[in-house]
Amino acid sequence: MITLSPELLNKIGNTPIVELSSFSSSKVKVYAKLEWFNPFGSVKDRAAYWMLKDAERKGLINRGKHIIIEPTSGNTGIALSGIARLLGYKVEIVIPEKASEETKSILRALGADVHETSDDLCPRVGVGTDQSISLAKAIAKARPDKYFMPNQYENDANFLAHYEGTGPEIYKQTDGKVTHFVSGVGTGGTITGVGMYLKEKDSKIKIIAVQPQKQHLIQGLRNFEESNVPSLFERRMYIVDEWYTITNEESFTMVKELYSRERLLVGPSSGCVMAAVCKLVDKIDEGIVVTIFADDGRKFKSLYTQQGVFTSNEFDHALRNATMLSDSLLII
Amino acid sequence: MLEEEVKTIDVRGLFCPEPVFRTKVAMERLSIGSILKVIADDPDAEEDIKRWVQKTGHELVSISKDGSNLTFLIRKKK
Repeated sequence: MITLSPELLNKIGNTPIVELSSFSSSKVKVYAKLEWFNPFGSVKDRAAYWMLKDAERKGLINRGKHIIIEPTSGNTGIALSGIARLLGYKVEIVIPEKASEETKSILRALGADVHETSDDLCPRVGVGTDQSISLAKAIAKARPDKYFMPNQYENDANFLAHYEGTGPEIYKQTDGKVTHFVSGVGTGGTITGVGMYLKEKDSKIKIIAVQPQKQHLIQGLRNFEESNVPSLFERRMYIVDEWYTITNEESFTMVKELYSRERLLVGPSSGCVMAAVCKLVDKIDEGIVVTIFADDGRKFKSLYTQQGVFTSNEFDHALRNATMLSDSLLII
Repeated sequence: MLEEEVKTIDVRGLFCPEPVFRTKVAMERLSIGSILKVIADDPDAEEDIKRWVQKTGHELVSISKDGSNLTFLIRKKK
């Protein structure tokens, strides 16, 4: 298990925002907020921290007594494992056995107990993550005094993390001049939290949602023709002004372009949102466009080489030469 | 009479799919030929555990019912 400094909890949020000069023009400026500067490597640190602090404030959990359990296959599991452990909780993560070995080994290194579900456990509930959700709920339901399931798809603290944190940060970092906010949607926490804050500051700011194609390869995002709308998103999805749907190919092409043009090595969801930013930029005459890059590309070597985005050598070269990578704890 | 060592797990009070999950984890820790005894009280467990044992190629030696308690004896085959 890796050692974690309590100082890490003070480093959640306040991530840098950078101009993507090669995508900007004289009238349209493009900025990205680099969420991989959060201590556990992604935007999900914010939601994980807020959901746990909120549960503590409400008296739902006590340090040293409760176990935090969450079904997830990606960044939320990593964020919860690190943050809950630092706050003094044991963590159990329920994950489909098909999830990547990289992710499982990070979770174990962070001290989480990992339960792997297979599709044959309970065919009534569906496949993949649905099995994991069902098992996590069953474990928590049988022992309500011992287990707490934050449930990022329903928990309003996930919205608040962005309404109170990410939204004000973006407004301040652009001196209140942001005109368009572009974000992918998974739980809907980021887009509704940031979107709501920005609309309250200036109702003319446009909120643009991005979804990947059906049967996509973009971890963390959802296509709403094939996936349910999480209740967290449904509550405030009226704030979305416009939608873009992006193909796998467009996303991966943009991952490569972001490296060649900006020396940024991003995760697949950042490629997806950036492809939508480019389509938007072509349509508007002026503005300040801000998007969120949820995580960097370090966890995705196997995906990128498999999809032909980079060869193994190109990836290693990119990793050494990329700018704005954080000193992540989670180098596999 | 069973001559093998029998390992027992009690999953009473647990709901689907946890009884199957606990059975699966316990079976992974047994050696081939050993018997696992599972005591459950979720009515869904009867169908779920039966189906899981059949699908994974183990042997369901017996199921007995006593009130709401269900007791399964499963022999690990592979």
